[in-house]
Amino acid sequence: MAMTDKDDILIADFFKQAAQQQIEDNGFTERVMQNLPEMKTNKVRCLSRLWTFFCVIVGLGLFFTFGGMQLMRVAMTGLLQMVLTALEVFVVTTPTTEIPVNPWLVLVVLAFVVIYLPYRTGRKLSSVL
Amino acid sequence: MADLNDISLVTQVAVFHNKRAFDQLVRKYQSPVRRFFLNQTLGDEMLSDDLAQDTFIKAYVNITKFKGMSSFSTWLMRIAYNVFYDHVRASRPTEDIDTSKAVASKTASGSDSLKMDIYAALALLKPDERSCITMQLIDGYPIDQISKITGIPENTVKSHLKRGKEKMANYLKENGYDR
Repeated sequence: MAMTDKDDILIADFFKQAAQQQIEDNGFTERVMQNLPEMKTNKVRCLSRLWTFFCVIVGLGLFFTFGGMQLMRVAMTGLLQMVLTALEVFVVTTPTTEIPVNPWLVLVVLAFVVIYLPYRTGRKLSSVL
Repeated sequence: MADLNDISLVTQVAVFHNKRAFDQLVRKYQSPVRRFFLNQTLGDEMLSDDLAQDTFIKAYVNITKFKGMSSFSTWLMRIAYNVFYDHVRASRPTEDIDTSKAVASKTASGSDSLKMDIYAALALLKPDERSCITMQLIDGYPIDQISKITGIPENTVKSHLKRGKEKMANYLKENGYDR
């Protein structure tokens, strides 16, 4: 039997109430959340930690194999020399410079570099490891 | 906007295994998913809730497979549809008995008569026809979305809808709904 517009209206009316039906949660979400598997999360975390540990070991191995300590010593000596030279230049030229240096600003920048940045890095590393 | 919010919640679940984000998704979609199962099982509330729970657990376990090509609701309904068809395949030998039992038990409890008529009418349809009819007329999905959810070609969906609506129209006329 062929469908008519009247049939379509009849069917749409019939299902109208069902289409508006909203089902109350009534603890359904809690039941679902209680039954969620934990395994995958633990597995991912475990794999992530193993990967971090592996990378650290490989990194340390490469560091010592290719004379990393020697390089670090040279780099640190160079850095120290550079800082000392910069300070020397600063001290020598300060009395003649016309740029006003705010000591509080210098203190804030130093505190940021010496205290805050190492603190942030430490927190990030501890959360990863 | 709603889709963006869903994608943000899905990302939190997939990347950080944030259960609170998943809780929000379950709360948001529990009603349409449970309603879908109620219509497919002809009002069997316990079975519907079990199947809906399976659906959300499968969504959680496979959340990283959601690529955002369709909306989260379409992806979730596709899982729901597959869960229901796995159930139908598993319980095929007793399907007819279960169907009549589900409708009969609701009749005995004396709940809303229109709702009962809907389940009785849906019982006349084949499972595929029932899924297509309820998705279009109750859940409001267009034909292309129904095709995506069920994996049935659009022309076949149209055929299911046509046959289903003819059966529904006959049922309604026989039961005096056209007067």
